[in-house]
Amino acid sequence: MISILLIAIAALFFTGIINKVKAKIGGRKMPSVFQPVYDLIRLFKKGAVYSNTTSIIFKIAPSVYLASVFTAMLFIPIGNLHSLLSFHGDFVFFTYLLGIGKFMMIIAAMDTGSGFEGMGANREALYSLLVEPAFFILAGSVALFTNNISFQELFLHLHMSSNLSIIIGIAAIYVLMYIAIVENSRLPVDDPKTHLELTMVHEVMVLDNSGFDLALIHLASWFKFSIYGAIISNFLIQVQWPVYVQILSFFFIQAVFAFTIGILESFRARNKMEKNPQWIIMLSAIAIVVFLTALIITNKIILH
Amino acid sequence: MTDLFITFYAITLIYFALSERVKKFIWLLAIQGLILFGVVFFSLHKIELFDFIFILVETLLVKSIVVPWFLDEVRKRNHLKREHQPYIPVFYSIIIVVISLIVSFMLSDYLHNDQMHTQYFTVAFASIIFGIYFIIIHKNIFSHVVGYLIIENGIFLLSLAVGSAMPLMVNLAVLLDVFMGVLVLGIFINRVGNTFKSVEAGNLSKLKD
Amino acid sequence: MDLLFFKITIVLIVALFVLPQRIQYFWSLLLHTAILGITSFWAIESLFFYSGSLILPFFPFWGNTISLVIDPLSAFFLLVVNFTAFMGILYAKGYLKPYYETKNRSETAFHFFNFLGLHLSMLLVVMLRDAVAFLIAWELMSISSFFLVIFESEKKETLRTGIRYLIQMHIGVVLLMVAFILAFVGSGAAFSFDGLSMYFAAHNPFWLFLLFFIGFGIKAGFIPLHSWLPHAHPAAPSHVSGTMSGVMIKMGIYGILRVLTTIHHDLFGIGLFILIISLVSGLIGISLAIVQHDVKKILAYSSIENIGIIGIGIGLGVIGLAMNIPVLAVLGFAGGILHILNHSLFKSLLFFTAGNVYRQTHTRNIEQLGGLIKKMPKTALFFLLGAMAISGLPPFNGFISEFLIYSGMFKSLQSGGLMTDIVILFSFSGLAIIGGLAVFCFTKVFSIVFLGNPRSSKTENASEVENPMLIPDYLISAFIIFIGFAPALFMKPLAEIVHLFTGNTDFIFQIVPTLNKISLSSGIFIAVIVIFWMLRNWQQKRQKVEQSATWGCGYSGANPAIHQYTATSYAENFRQLSAKIVNVKKDFELFEETEIFPGERTFETRSSDIFEDQIITKPSGKLLSLFEKIAVLQTGKIQHYLLYALVFLLAISVFALLNWI
Repeated sequence: MISILLIAIAALFFTGIINKVKAKIGGRKMPSVFQPVYDLIRLFKKGAVYSNTTSIIFKIAPSVYLASVFTAMLFIPIGNLHSLLSFHGDFVFFTYLLGIGKFMMIIAAMDTGSGFEGMGANREALYSLLVEPAFFILAGSVALFTNNISFQELFLHLHMSSNLSIIIGIAAIYVLMYIAIVENSRLPVDDPKTHLELTMVHEVMVLDNSGFDLALIHLASWFKFSIYGAIISNFLIQVQWPVYVQILSFFFIQAVFAFTIGILESFRARNKMEKNPQWIIMLSAIAIVVFLTALIITNKIILH
Repeated sequence: MTDLFITFYAITLIYFALSERVKKFIWLLAIQGLILFGVVFFSLHKIELFDFIFILVETLLVKSIVVPWFLDEVRKRNHLKREHQPYIPVFYSIIIVVISLIVSFMLSDYLHNDQMHTQYFTVAFASIIFGIYFIIIHKNIFSHVVGYLIIENGIFLLSLAVGSAMPLMVNLAVLLDVFMGVLVLGIFINRVGNTFKSVEAGNLSKLKD
Repeated sequence: MDLLFFKITIVLIVALFVLPQRIQYFWSLLLHTAILGITSFWAIESLFFYSGSLILPFFPFWGNTISLVIDPLSAFFLLVVNFTAFMGILYAKGYLKPYYETKNRSETAFHFFNFLGLHLSMLLVVMLRDAVAFLIAWELMSISSFFLVIFESEKKETLRTGIRYLIQMHIGVVLLMVAFILAFVGSGAAFSFDGLSMYFAAHNPFWLFLLFFIGFGIKAGFIPLHSWLPHAHPAAPSHVSGTMSGVMIKMGIYGILRVLTTIHHDLFGIGLFILIISLVSGLIGISLAIVQHDVKKILAYSSIENIGIIGIGIGLGVIGLAMNIPVLAVLGFAGGILHILNHSLFKSLLFFTAGNVYRQTHTRNIEQLGGLIKKMPKTALFFLLGAMAISGLPPFNGFISEFLIYSGMFKSLQSGGLMTDIVILFSFSGLAIIGGLAVFCFTKVFSIVFLGNPRSSKTENASEVENPMLIPDYLISAFIIFIGFAPALFMKPLAEIVHLFTGNTDFIFQIVPTLNKISLSSGIFIAVIVIFWMLRNWQQKRQKVEQSATWGCGYSGANPAIHQYTATSYAENFRQLSAKIVNVKKDFELFEETEIFPGERTFETRSSDIFEDQIITKPSGKLLSLFEKIAVLQTGKIQHYLLYALVFLLAISVFALLNWI
């Protein structure tokens, strides 16, 4: 139960930290870390404008999207702090649950009948289908490595003892970080701050959302970031640490994660749109190398 | 520890398939040199001190500094930036390199031979296959040189796999070949670049008469 | 006794032809209900109350009695066939109404006759074990479905498609016959499914299995044996395509499963073969579905994909048996078999709703549709439900079967060897990509057909269909949601079926707590949606909510129908990636330099199936041109024919002299 709270709290600061880092590096005056939260509260208080073309799908989609991300959050443990829901193969449910949210957002974008939003929708559909195997292969390799198939047990039994398990850790964190970037449409897949609809992915899908709905969507994408941050932190937090150290290190890792993304966004250029698929499939390729390493550790591949 | 470097080496191969910039190729070659240095450093300390030092110098100095530096000079002279569209889209190249990695890992599991260090064989085989594939799909002579160097790295690893004493001999021979190759091709690229204003391999066929 | 029943049924079915057109439908509905009642009773008895198989003597044949054998596998298929066929006939009432004006009494009677025939023959297929009787039932099934497909035979294309279908089915039946005969000759055991086990025990099973696989696979639509499927489904009326895609193609799967029950050794090669073919079918089927424009063609290709998913489950199950990993075997078979039921549900739902759209707009080309959710809200929501279920999203039934397969794979990663692990790696990556592609495909279909602005005038007069036409949709949807929320209830009968293949089925019962937790999580998910939705409504009541035009960079003069994304443009980025497979051709004329005021232009994209081109069209084209060359001999003059006869006689004598013949 505590883990949900922790993830939610981390989510609130996440975007603030990214923006602060970007502003600092860009030489601009830094906004407060709470600025995104203020924006969100303002949105929650606002009215809304709906397009004449839209139907019930468009109206219900943000609620479903946030609900899917929120329910997915219930599966994530933090160190010793257990998750609310846990069963064998819950990461399959987790991925497909996020899939439902994406499904609804895609059809909601198409519901507006706008050319821009169709563009974003089909890009989102393509990228999320390409990134899915990477997550599964990664989960599969960790499952093979620890002989457990739920988030809870995976992380409880994940010990970074040998050299090879370190590489699993490093590569897994690397791949997960980029999965988070693809899922949330940040640089280098998509530039959230661009001003041209033609080059956007996620931002262009929500062009017509406003008020409460837009707030839900923002909240969902913060949560999503924080969920991946929590998964990454689980690779580093050791279960034998005392609980308060675990919680502190969780926040520390989330902050470092946000910091890294801020730095990455300041110095990297966005990929060419047509280069995105190959860049995303590369994540699966690396995940397969991780899988092969796990096979070596478990003595499935015997080398000498 | 060696397995760690082996895995890194496998990842560099994936990046080779992904990259399209000439500068990135050179960087990756330098990194591969460093990885080979790591491999040698952690696995070959039983052999004679002189050989050991020689191999270290060879991997660290030649593979990761001299050759990349030379290639970089060639790149600058010819204003090479981006490789043209390869014959096979990068998307499929990545799938192919992954499959070749899986096959070579499986192959090394089947080779139960005490004489052989299958550890090195895993990526060595993949590296040679990938190097050949790399040359096939690219149009640029410069990339062909890069492909030969990938193959050379693969052969180096293969020689490690075959025995502890062999690497020196094999590597000496191969290195000499490749070094000459790089030099000759480097000069060649410069000449072709001067003559045709581009380094497409297709231009070479115009020279046949 | 049972034969008497059968004879009475036949007489009652034939009575259709003398009834007036109004009563025909109700008469056939009555007969369907009767057949459904009797066979479902048997099936339920066998599956739930009676351990072992139920044997009913059917009719004497050359001294033997041919009986109907109902084991759990048959019982399962009986129930699935009955449900889907019954939904089909319920749907037919409304769907066929416009046709009553153009079709005369005997034509409609013939249609209902064939539908009953299809229903009955499918039931017989899964109950008969004797090879001759089985093949006769199989043939009846193909012929009756052929007549159903060519219902609109006044269209030339439909007739062509029907004949192509019939030919391919006969290739299948010949292969099956050859396979049965080979087994009979090779072992001398009974000429039936039961006799196969003796042959397989003594020989390497792979080659005979391959023969069976091709024979049954043509029916099931595995790539590359699928080329009839994307043509026959769009040509047939919707209740027929729903039934065909929902259950008839599963008869191929039934055959493969039935043959697999008789093989007990050397299974690895067979399992790997099934798995590879299924992965290819899944990936290529759904890729081809994405680039189509005809809504029923999309659904047909998506059937191929789902056959692939079923095959992945079965293939993994066989590999699990071969490598002695019970968890993989049990959960693989369980997932595959449950997906048979699931697919029959959502695919018939999708075909029926697509049929609604076709009936109201008279077009199947999705590029001409759009915005139908406002005119046909119920149809749209049912289609959405089907689309989400077929994409394997929770909390619907498609997810449950895929989850069973996934958890079988992940649980056996540790106990499997290197080879198994690599196979599993490819399988779950493949399944994940198939799932993602299904989302891509069905978001496209749903949003192009039902959302946005209308793309042509065809949708102007569309209105919601009458309520009776929606009855099957309600029933199927209820079933879909029921499986999605209470999957644990289905595990016991599933275990009975899986028991036929694996013996021990403990793992199915071990997964029940997990499934209960999935139900719980789905419940939480729905509750959270409701909470957010209510919060949103509460907030919007006190704020100003306006209506306006869609954001178009401040320019509102554009034609909303042209301004939006089309199906082609939605699929464009995927087409670029998979250009080699989907093989899309673009037809357009370039502007000429001298054209100052360009005239109207058209742009069209077509996708041709690469397998169909290479395996069917090109070879048959070559064969045809060869025959045309030979046709030179056919001069039409009697003297020439006599000359040929003389040449033939001479040749024969010469050969006889040389003792060649």
